[in-house]
Amino acid sequence: MRAFRKWHRIIVFIFIVALVLSGCSQKNATTDTYKQTDETSGNTEKPKDGGNLIIGTSGSPTLFNPYYSEDTASSDIEGMIFNGLVTVDENLNPVGDLAKNWDISDDGLTYTFHLKDNVKWQDGQPFTADDVVFSYSIPMNKDYTGPRASDFEKIKEVKALDEHTVQVTLKQPFAPFLTSTAGYGILPKHLLQDVPIKELDKASFNTKQPIGTGPYKFVEWKDGQYVKLEANKDYYEGRPHIDTVTIKFIPDANAILTQFQAGDIDYMALQSTDLATGEQLVKQGKAKIKTTPSLSYTFIGYNQLNPLFKDKKVRQALTHALDREKIIQAVMNGDGKIANTPGSPLEKWAYNPDVPTFDYDVDKAKKLLAEAGWKDTDGDGILDKKGKKFSFVIKTNQGNKVREQIAQVVQQMWKEVGIEAKPKIQEWSSFIKDVTAPTWNFDACILGWALGVDPDPSDIFSSKEIAQGLNFVHYKNPELDKLMAENTKITDREQRGEMIKEIQAGIAEDQPYTFLYYDNDHIMYNPKLQNVQQHPSIAYYKIKDWWIKQ
Amino acid sequence: MITYIIRRILVSIPLLLGISILSFLIIQLAPGDPTSLFLDPNIKPEDREAFIEAYGLNDPVYIQYFHWLWQILHGNFGQSLIMHGIPVSELILGRLPNTLLLMVSSAVLAFIISIPFGVLSATKPYTLTDYTVTTASFIGVATPSFWIGLVLLMFFAVKFPIFPSGGVATLNAPFSIWDRLHHLILPAFVLAASDMAGLTRYTRSSMLDVLRQDYIRTARAKGFNSRKVVYKHGLRNALIPVVTIVGLIIPSFIGGAVVVENIFGWPGIGNLFLNAAFQRDYPVIMALTMISATLVVIGNLISDILYAIIDPRIEY
Repeated sequence: MRAFRKWHRIIVFIFIVALVLSGCSQKNATTDTYKQTDETSGNTEKPKDGGNLIIGTSGSPTLFNPYYSEDTASSDIEGMIFNGLVTVDENLNPVGDLAKNWDISDDGLTYTFHLKDNVKWQDGQPFTADDVVFSYSIPMNKDYTGPRASDFEKIKEVKALDEHTVQVTLKQPFAPFLTSTAGYGILPKHLLQDVPIKELDKASFNTKQPIGTGPYKFVEWKDGQYVKLEANKDYYEGRPHIDTVTIKFIPDANAILTQFQAGDIDYMALQSTDLATGEQLVKQGKAKIKTTPSLSYTFIGYNQLNPLFKDKKVRQALTHALDREKIIQAVMNGDGKIANTPGSPLEKWAYNPDVPTFDYDVDKAKKLLAEAGWKDTDGDGILDKKGKKFSFVIKTNQGNKVREQIAQVVQQMWKEVGIEAKPKIQEWSSFIKDVTAPTWNFDACILGWALGVDPDPSDIFSSKEIAQGLNFVHYKNPELDKLMAENTKITDREQRGEMIKEIQAGIAEDQPYTFLYYDNDHIMYNPKLQNVQQHPSIAYYKIKDWWIKQ
Repeated sequence: MITYIIRRILVSIPLLLGISILSFLIIQLAPGDPTSLFLDPNIKPEDREAFIEAYGLNDPVYIQYFHWLWQILHGNFGQSLIMHGIPVSELILGRLPNTLLLMVSSAVLAFIISIPFGVLSATKPYTLTDYTVTTASFIGVATPSFWIGLVLLMFFAVKFPIFPSGGVATLNAPFSIWDRLHHLILPAFVLAASDMAGLTRYTRSSMLDVLRQDYIRTARAKGFNSRKVVYKHGLRNALIPVVTIVGLIIPSFIGGAVVVENIFGWPGIGNLFLNAAFQRDYPVIMALTMISATLVVIGNLISDILYAIIDPRIEY
């Protein structure tokens, strides 16, 4: 569920503070060893009930209501309290959650969901189709004040056919419906129907007593300290093994690692910069690490409002000049994989591995730049054209060590081909203000996108998204625009996949970004914790099946 | 004395008003707004605009300021822009006691440790003891507290697990005073560390000064033992300038709390302030700025009053 709302959200590492201590760890960690440190699930020990799990995280939540929260800290916890109709499996295919199964009409407009009939709310009331109708009608209401209205505006009507059947009719075919909209958590009608929609964002339900259908029940939230959850013994898929789950908020990233080493937390997300430290703990038998490619990539975006970047050849040359493999090795200890398109290889059905690539080739970069008219006429080592130097500022956000280092490395690499880039590190909010509409005050920027489960690229690359949306690099390709507008209307998956692959090839050729690499996600946990499962976009995946070995 | 206190309180009102205007302007100058944290294609620009409009963030700054001031005069700090619907006062009241506890313990710790060392240093000037204390306090001043914090955690929570690694209490355990104290020691020490160094230096120089005075020589000449001379005649007089620092320590504690609370996961206002600043949660930032300013004003007032109590020569 979390993923659907995390859709394309920028990865924020606000609280990472660079620290001397990380220098204590050895530098030459290899990427292979930690992958082999698993898996214990090979043995068939019988899971035991009981125990308390403490999860350390840097982000504090804001409230627990899927229709109002905007941050992953909140939605990660919501994922344990609430269920949606549909969720996704390890391969990002839709599978039923509260819905047993569903039928889609041939015109792609009507979805009929058959709900599971053994589901109860955590307060004992039965879950019915009315709850679904109630929940979906919240963001469709004109008094709704939350940020999710646009996800539901494609819906024409939601109605309950009987106690366990819901029918959703769309205004037009919308292929991402199942994995985006139908993933929203369902709220209990019997507890919220008397709250006016206008005041629902301030309802005490959201912060003091959220009640869902999920595997864990809310116990208490101590602001700045922790959120405590306890097992929902009547969960419809059976009792979760672990008695209580406490999510502890530790703002400082180094302090999270310290608390893990001290044994005060059992589970944490491990940043790639701390991988070497983590690996040492694994060797000492104090930790286990799991890794999955994440649904995200890091890129350099070129603002086409700046005449420097208008020419496709120049953008291709900029990519040719960068040794991305070396960047991954030098900055990330090899923890990443080169990206060439905006699609993720995790979404096999819509990923094109065969796009035009612009691999490291200094000569080719120089040649392309010369073709575009850039030559070093005054012999100062920097290319120029009509008296103007090829010099620009590359911005990124402060607090993300990796991006700060990338800015310096690419500065060196571009210098080789006669391009001057000046890094500028900015505080997050002011950086975003500069980069996004309507300011667009940047030349180039280093950023990352966390991708949604649905591979539709139009939110970022369609020219419709220039004026106000997220196409802040001002990329425009009329042919691809047409395809992007078309792709969400095709319900046949294979056909749609082909179209998305074509779009990816077109974007790769145009290089509005230099696609740098796909990130990896790492989790580190106490070896006592068994059967931990990791998912590229769902936090605490299948936590119901985790258990603690005493 | 009473009229003096009343006058001081009256003077601090325009002072706080000035602080509020300045900080309001500075916060507004910072680029970005609370919506920069939800850069998400599912949140359409219209929805963002609606958010900004709903919270009056598009109004001219002076209108926003007067609106805010009007609310404050009615005892209303407003509602957090990020933590939906939670009143700012509730957020702060939940955390202020933790910060005050940390600050008071640090202050006590700082005085308990630094005054004896300052005296020791002053009674044996230019000896090995003096140089050791002096060097130690210079190191204390020069070392950033986030570093001391992490090193102490590394040693006393990870290598030799004597202390817990963070938080105010053990999770999933019943309340106990000992447990609370146990969690308090490391952060209080780290927060105290930088001021401890300054206080030791102050005590040393003030004490050195006093020990050269004629009345000390007189006391010694009367045949009092040197302990009594140092502590009864010397220290009491030497402490006068030291006490005034109490008021000046408060601002540095508030600043230090931001760092220490983050490293130790201490749920106080410093931690809240950092989040609010990054998220541009204006009502929370303003409320915390005003509370800190008030604390500083009160701290200064207290040290002036203490001054009068300790030093009989001073009258108001």
